[in-house]
This record gives sequence, structure tokens and C-alpha cells, in this order.
Amino acid sequence: MAKWGMVIDLEKCTGCQACSTACAMENNRLPGEAWQDVVFYTEGEYPSVQLKWFPRPCMHCENPSCVDVCPVRATYKTEDGMVLVDWDRCIGCRYCMIACPYGVRFYSDEKPLVEPDIKKVFKGDRKYSWSPPWKMPQSKEDWKHGVGIQPDGVVSKCTFCYQRISKAPEGTPDLEPNDPALREFTPACVVACPPTARYFGDLDNPQSHVSELIAQKRGVRLLDHLGNKPQVYYLTGEAGAVPSTRGGREA
Amino acid sequence: MNNIPTGQQAIRILKRTIFTRRRFLQLSGLAVSLLAMGGSLRKLTGFFALRAARAAQPMAAAEDETVITKSVCHQCPGRCGIDVYTTNGRVHAIYGSIDHPLSAGKLCPKGYLGPYILYDPDRFKGPMKRTNPNKGRNEDPKFVSITWDEALDTIAARLQNLRDKGESHRFALLYGRGWGASDAGLQKPFGLLYGSPNVAIGHSSMCADGSKKAKQATDGNYSYSAYDYNNTNYLLIFGAGFLEAFRPYTTNMVAWGHLRTKSPRTQVTVVDVHLNTTGAAADRALLIKPGTDGALALAIAHVMLTEGLWDKDFVGDFEDSVNRFRATGRPVDPATFQERWVHGLVEWWNNEVKERSPAWASEITTIPEKEIIAVAREFGTTRPAIALLERGPTAHSNGTYNAMAIHALNALSGSLFAQGGLFYQMGPSYGKLPVQYEDYMDDYAKSEERKRHPRVDKAGTEDWPMASTMMQEVAKNHLAGQPYKLDTAMFYLTNPTWTSPETGDWEEALKDIFVIDTSPFPGETAMMADIIVPDHTYLERLQDTPTYPFQGWPMAGLRQPAVKPLYDTKAYGDVLIEIGKRMKGPMGEYYRALENTENVLRHLARGFEQDPGDNGVNGFETWKEKGVWYKRPYHWRQDRGKFYEWDGTGYNTLMTPEEVKEKLLKTPSGKFEFKSASLEEHAAYISRKLGIPAERVGFPQWVVPHHPGGGDLHLVTPKVALHAEGRGANLPHVISLMQPTLGGNKTVYLEINPMTAQKRRIRNNEKVRIKSSVGTIEAYARYYHGVRPDTVVLPMEHGHWAMGRWARNRLPGHSGEVTVNVSDPISGLASYYTTTVTVEPA
Repeated sequence: MAKWGMVIDLEKCTGCQACSTACAMENNRLPGEAWQDVVFYTEGEYPSVQLKWFPRPCMHCENPSCVDVCPVRATYKTEDGMVLVDWDRCIGCRYCMIACPYGVRFYSDEKPLVEPDIKKVFKGDRKYSWSPPWKMPQSKEDWKHGVGIQPDGVVSKCTFCYQRISKAPEGTPDLEPNDPALREFTPACVVACPPTARYFGDLDNPQSHVSELIAQKRGVRLLDHLGNKPQVYYLTGEAGAVPSTRGGREA
Repeated sequence: MNNIPTGQQAIRILKRTIFTRRRFLQLSGLAVSLLAMGGSLRKLTGFFALRAARAAQPMAAAEDETVITKSVCHQCPGRCGIDVYTTNGRVHAIYGSIDHPLSAGKLCPKGYLGPYILYDPDRFKGPMKRTNPNKGRNEDPKFVSITWDEALDTIAARLQNLRDKGESHRFALLYGRGWGASDAGLQKPFGLLYGSPNVAIGHSSMCADGSKKAKQATDGNYSYSAYDYNNTNYLLIFGAGFLEAFRPYTTNMVAWGHLRTKSPRTQVTVVDVHLNTTGAAADRALLIKPGTDGALALAIAHVMLTEGLWDKDFVGDFEDSVNRFRATGRPVDPATFQERWVHGLVEWWNNEVKERSPAWASEITTIPEKEIIAVAREFGTTRPAIALLERGPTAHSNGTYNAMAIHALNALSGSLFAQGGLFYQMGPSYGKLPVQYEDYMDDYAKSEERKRHPRVDKAGTEDWPMASTMMQEVAKNHLAGQPYKLDTAMFYLTNPTWTSPETGDWEEALKDIFVIDTSPFPGETAMMADIIVPDHTYLERLQDTPTYPFQGWPMAGLRQPAVKPLYDTKAYGDVLIEIGKRMKGPMGEYYRALENTENVLRHLARGFEQDPGDNGVNGFETWKEKGVWYKRPYHWRQDRGKFYEWDGTGYNTLMTPEEVKEKLLKTPSGKFEFKSASLEEHAAYISRKLGIPAERVGFPQWVVPHHPGGGDLHLVTPKVALHAEGRGANLPHVISLMQPTLGGNKTVYLEINPMTAQKRRIRNNEKVRIKSSVGTIEAYARYYHGVRPDTVVLPMEHGHWAMGRWARNRLPGHSGEVTVNVSDPISGLASYYTTTVTVEPA
């Protein structure tokens, strides 16, 4: 069984947000429901100022704090490494949102970021919190794994595009988006990334390209000292930067 | 967050759900204990009884049939190939086509928005006519549905009536994003057959005509450039927003991933007025005073010449190889220099460059002298190197000269037509149309009387003798009745009522013009329309898309419907043809013979039978299957001062100077002209407009820009990545991601330097008034250390008074309402970035 993980090369990332828009399209997310986000920040003052950014999916931790706190076992870790939410179990208590040190979880009943509320424009029936005409085909929907349009009152999060990767051929070391045979099984953000800053593969396979990149380019993990052991690694190269962990204590 | 975060704060932003959490904690007795437990929470158990309350998961449909349609994106002029995923008649995903050279399996952030555009709930659902005769911002047009026959008959009758009266010039067709032969390509014959010089007026004077004019003046090509990024080792980018707005955006980013990790790593210097993502991702960002890019480029040229860093093979050298270009600025005897592919270098030095030292440029641009010298040495010693420019430096009164000075660097470094350099785009091998319009011109169309009327925008008249189009002048010329009043105007993929400078003129002008809008969306121009003949959106449309400048070799995409049109809409090309069929005489016969756009496309595709593409496309059916025809390689290459033509196996055929002049360097001298003959032809005009001595007009040179508006801050209004030439105004997903650099997710903030703000008592995130001599708008100001203290930046987004429920009345106000309508007298490009404004708390 693979242990799926992602590598993001910050030297290549252009901050374009294609990962975010592709994720929203593939997974039917609401505006502002950023399963995949790019966080921008500045350092310094004019004229010695830097503008930086940091792409952030769910870290799919090896030791996920969200799983530990879930009172109903709705959030769980799959055998192949994903942290998912079972919408049939979730009671919307949001303990997981408090426990997650990376802020990657979203609650479906938030106030809309952009008015008028798109959920009211494309209303769902009783089952769904909304129902846009572009929503994924019903055969892909999978509430046990947090895939599709969620019901009201649950927490949702990045699934590494479970609907795609769960169909990948057994034993594949890397899901290479420009390989026509593997493209449909690769997470949307990885397929989308124009400068190819994202890689996706099996962290348990020492032959995989992701393992190689982490080893050779000194991959680092966000807030590693917290001990969650993210399965998302960042390469900083000459130009990239992981946000400082100086604030880690308060985090 | 109410500020741009610092690195430390970014960590907290990553924990973005803090508000929710706090709210939850307030309600929860567990709050204290949870916090105390921190990262070492233990599993909690219980609450299982609650889960049964949820309805069971919906059953998956038994069989879904997903179809992938090969088509072409429509969100910028780039023309990326897309795979549109349609299941059971609904589009739910779009990804970049792997087998398309432009997208290479990727798309920019806009590419994924297609389904939202298709299903925009505010789209027009079919043809309509206006029933409220009053027009204006606050007037409901009271549109009522009509049939296509009524719509087309009404338009044709109106045009026929004008023609019968001998007033066909009073019909204008204004267009923006033309795609190919099956839409914009149909317009010119329509205008000639009908007899109007105003069919069609393009929008390029409100886009990027400045770079084209500069290239025409120096190397003879009135065109945007094609670039060989993958092989370049230095990119010097002036105001092009390479990682936000420059096209083809997807390809730029695909190239970026390669450039920044290849060996040697391509060095990048970015020149702009604020720190955008392009500048932040580059090796060096130079924040330049608006409108002074030409001064910087001239100083770089000065260093390259005085330090002997020019490309001797392409440019030439002193007879004895002893460099006489001295930093002391002494004139040089032209007879001592032997020019290869350039014309007038020594004269340029003597008349301009010798005075343009880095110290001089530092005063003008505010960029430190040592930075200028460093960039010049890097650029001058790295090959291949590209100096890339687009709208930024050219949207000023001195725009053409700024651009010529920048493009001169490409000549000095020998990168014209070189590997890793820049060149021009080849067109596709299209077949002929079934009929030739020349055979259908009647006496009226051919008459001298028809040639007597100038264009309503006065392009090509003595007012704008060098401009190819002047759309931004149409409204004010109509209002003044000079050269005449329009009767009827039709709009295709352009919305000048919102996009133009001084938009108020358009709102006034369109009140007494019969307006036909073809947009599927309820934009500002549509709100002024008398009749709406809505186009399909791009996922419903069949249309050719020959490529915008890319890598030089020819390519033609085919946009095809992924779904049947959702509503009663009609492709714009077919609307034109249907109007044509309803005209009397040979014009009607021509359009009946043309039949429809599909017939046009079938005839175009016959050209591929003789010249099959690299991907096997050899006719209409294979074109549809693959979605694109293309044929590598580019046919010409300059290598070490020699020009070669492709002979089928390699760049083996040495070209004569005559062939180079005919095919590549199309100037009167057949060389790159540092002393432009085409500008000298208009010496008196340029001298009068810009105050330059007539004998100097040919040189790329420093001209002090003119800044109208009456303010004390430069206003620059770029487009952001999520919009740039796309259509995101009414998409909530786009609004939520619009301005990530400053956190603008409901509005776009005015970027203001904290020093500038504090002097004006403007607090962070406060509402401000932006005033110029032509108007006032409101915006929210946000402190940003990445913008110059003498400049404020307001992305040209939002401020719509129409366009749908999410777009309408969203602050900030529209920058066009405070932008003074002035243009570069040479190129005709609207000077969008030259207005000065005052900013004060609102």
C-alpha cells in the first residue's frame, strides 16, 4: 500500500493560484472554501521589501491531531495515507478545526465570503448544502471519503483528490500528470500547476521521484517541531521560503 | 486580518479558521481544557448516537458517460488548448490539453473557470430588444425577447436604409478580442462590401499598440513578438506582468518552471512601479518612476556601448576594433564604424546615447546608478538575452520612444531572430474561402464617394496619422459630430462603456446611437443597447483560433462546442453572415454563397490537406479531433550575424540581405534602425506633438512624459492574474481570489505606501476618494511597502455598474472614470498609466 505524499518546489511556484482554482473546480468548493490555498505575506519595508507566498494544501499528517480529537471517528486516516472526513458520521462539532495546526479545515455553514450567497443562487435539495450545475458527476460523489458536495453542518477538507488517486494502479511510484496513463488519477492541483512546482507520489517507495526530491533537495515540512509529520514536503531551493516558525509557539 | 501579513503573521493566516474557532470556543465549555492540552490531544470518544441523524449518502448513478472535447480557452488571447469534461450533458471540469503546444497539459488560474462562465446565471438567454427609450446607468432597458428573424431583419433593414441614403459610413462595428477567420476575419469584407470605413474598429489602441509601433519603427514589423524563452539565459522585463497578465500566460509559467531550474539558471530582472509576483519571483526588481523606462533602457545601452558589450556579429564594430564609445560622451565619427544588421548606431550615440549615462538615468528613474550598471553588465554579458516589454512603459505620452529604447537592447545584444531570442509569428496554412469578396463589390461599394469618408475614430487622418485604430476616440468624436455622427454601432467582445478612459463619454454617446451588442453577458454596453443578439459562450462555440505570437511557428486551434448551446444564442460570425444575407444586391449573394461559419472553417481546413500538421491534422475532421493544427519549426534563424532559412532539415540556406529585408527586417534599410525612417516620414507631426526637433525624431530617445490629471500621485491600474483579459467580474470564485498579494477577496485594495498614506492621514483599510481632473471614485486603501511612495496602484477590476449580480456596484470604483483620455501621438495607445490623482480619506 502506497503512502501518498506531495512535494512542492517553492522555487518554481509563481503564486498564480491555478492550484486553488483547479481544486475549487474539481472538488466543487465554495468561494473562500480554500481546500487548497496560497498565502501571501510581506517582509521588510520600502524599498527593501519582499513579497512572498506559500501554497498550502492539507498536510495529510502521519500523526494527525484532527483524527485524535474527533469524538465520532468521522475524521480518519486511510491505509494509504490520506486524512479524510466521513460526512455520514461528522456532527459538525469542529473540534478538528481547533486541533489542526495548519488551518486546512472548513465548516459548511460559514457566512458567505462573497455576497450574494452562491449557495442560495444554486440551491441544493435537503441532502446537499448547494447544487451548482458544474458539480461533479454523481458516480464520483463519495461522502464516506469527503468527496462531492457536502451536506449542511459538516467539516470538509482537501482529500488529495481521493476520487482520482484511489483509482491509481497499485504499486505506482509517482502520479505523473503529463503521463496520459496516470493523469486522471493525479490530484487536480498537481495536474494544474503550470510551472510544475508540484509532485505527487509514494513516500514509502525509495525509488519514487518524490522520495528522491525530498532527499536530494532537502525537503522540509511546515511547523515540523509540532510533531504532526506532514506528508507534504517543501523544497526551498535558492528562492523559496517556508514561513518562519518564530510564531510556532503561539500556533 | 486587516493588513498584509508579515512572515510571522503568515503562520497565523495558515490557521485561517481562527474566527470560527474563537466563536466555537466561546460556546464550548471544553475550550479551556482543549487549549491546555494543546498539540497532545487524546482521542475523545462518545457522541455516536448523533450520527444517525444524517441522511444516508446519495447513491451513485449507475453509468456516467464522460466525453472530453478538445477546444480552446477564451480567457485571454493566449489560445491554450483545453480538454473539456462533459458528463451527461453537463460541463464539470476543464484541464489543459497535454498534446497542445501552448498549454502542455497545464492552464493558468483562469483556465479552470470556464464552467462558471458557461453557467453564469446572469447570461442573456436569447435575442432581445429594448423597450425603454431612455438610456443611462439608472435606466432599466426593459428588454423583451424577440425571435432571431426579428432581430436580424431589424438590423439588416437599418443598415440597408443607411446604405440607400448614402450614409453607410455612419455604421460602425467595434470589436475587441477577435479570434480568427470565422469571426473577426469576416469583418473586413463586410465593411468593404457594405461601404463603411468603420467596419471594423479594433480595440488595440486601448490594449498594447505601443510595442507594435516601436517594433515597426525599428525592425519593420507591426506586430507583437514571439519569444524563444526556453533557450534564453537572461530576461529583462519592462512592465509586462510576465507572471500575472502577459500572454500566453500558461506558457510563460510553464517556461518559468524550466528557466528557473535549468543550468545555467535564467537570470531575471523586472522593472515595474510596484512589487508584483513577477518582481518578487525574479532575481532583481527595480521599482521605477512611472513613464521613465526609456531612460533606464538608454542608460543600459550607454553602458553596453562604452564597455564594448554589444554583439559585434549582429551590430558590427569599429574598423580597427578599438571602442570609441567613451563614458566621457565624446561624439564618434560614423565612418569609423562598420554596421552589419543595424542602421544609424553611431548617429544614435552622437545624438542621444552619449548623454544618457547611468548617473543621468538615476536622476530620472530614481533607480540607483550602481543597479543600472549592474543590470547593464549582466544583460550585456549574457547571451542569449531578451529585453521584453509590454503595456507598462508604453501607456504614456512618450510610450513609443520608451519601447524603442528597450527594443534597441535586443538589437545590441544580437537576440533578434536568434536562438533564445525573439522574432515574429507565422500564420497558418489556411485554405481559400468558397467565394472572394472582391467579386461581389457593387458600384456603391467601389465608388469614390465611399473613400471620401474618414473613420469616425480619425485613425489615419491628420489628427492621428500613424495610429492604426483609435477606439478610445469614437465616443468623443461622435459627441462632437467630428468627423460625423454615428447612426448605428455594433459591438463584439468589447465593452468600451466600461473599459475605456473617461467612460462617461461613452454613456453619453450611446444614448443617441442605435446600439447592437453581441455579448452573452449583461455588460455596461449591453445596458445601453437597443438590440441584443447574444453570442454563445466559448464552451458552446465553433471557431478558429490562429495563434497569437508564441514561438514563431504556425498554429491554429479550433474551438468547438462541448455542449449544445444552453440558450437561444448564435455565434457572432453567423450573425454577421445572416445580416449580410439580408442585404440587397451582390453583398447578399456573397453571404448566401459563404453559407455559415462551419462552411468557412471547412474551407480553411482544406489548406491543411496540402500542408499537414505535425500532429497529423490534414483536414476538417482531424482538426476537430485534435483541436489544433501546428507545424514546427520557425523558418528563420540569425546565428552570429548570419541569417539562415530552414530547408526542411536544418537552418542551412544562407539568406541574402534582400531576403532578410523582405522576410524579417522589413525596414527601408533592411536593417534594425536606430534612426527610424518610418518615424522620419512623420517628422513634422511628431515634432509638433512631442516638441522634438524634426531631425531627431528617428532616434529612440528620452522624452519627458506628460502627466495630466492634476494630482500629486501617479495612478497605475494593472490587471491581476485572475482577470487579465478574462471575464471574472461576475464570478464569485474569482472575486474571492482576485488580489491575493494584498488580501483583496471582496474588493481590490488601492496599494498605497504607508509613508504616503500617513502624510494624508489615511488609515490602513480606510475608504478613500481618488480624484483627478475628470472624475472621482472610491476605494479601500491598504498599506503596502511594495509600492513607490509617489505612486498608487489600483488594479483595473470591479467598479461595474452592470455585468451581473456579483459584479454590479462592487467597490472600488472603476479606474477608467478617473483616467484622462489621452494617447501616445505616435502609436495611438491610450495612456492608461499617465494620469496623476489625489487621494484623501473618504
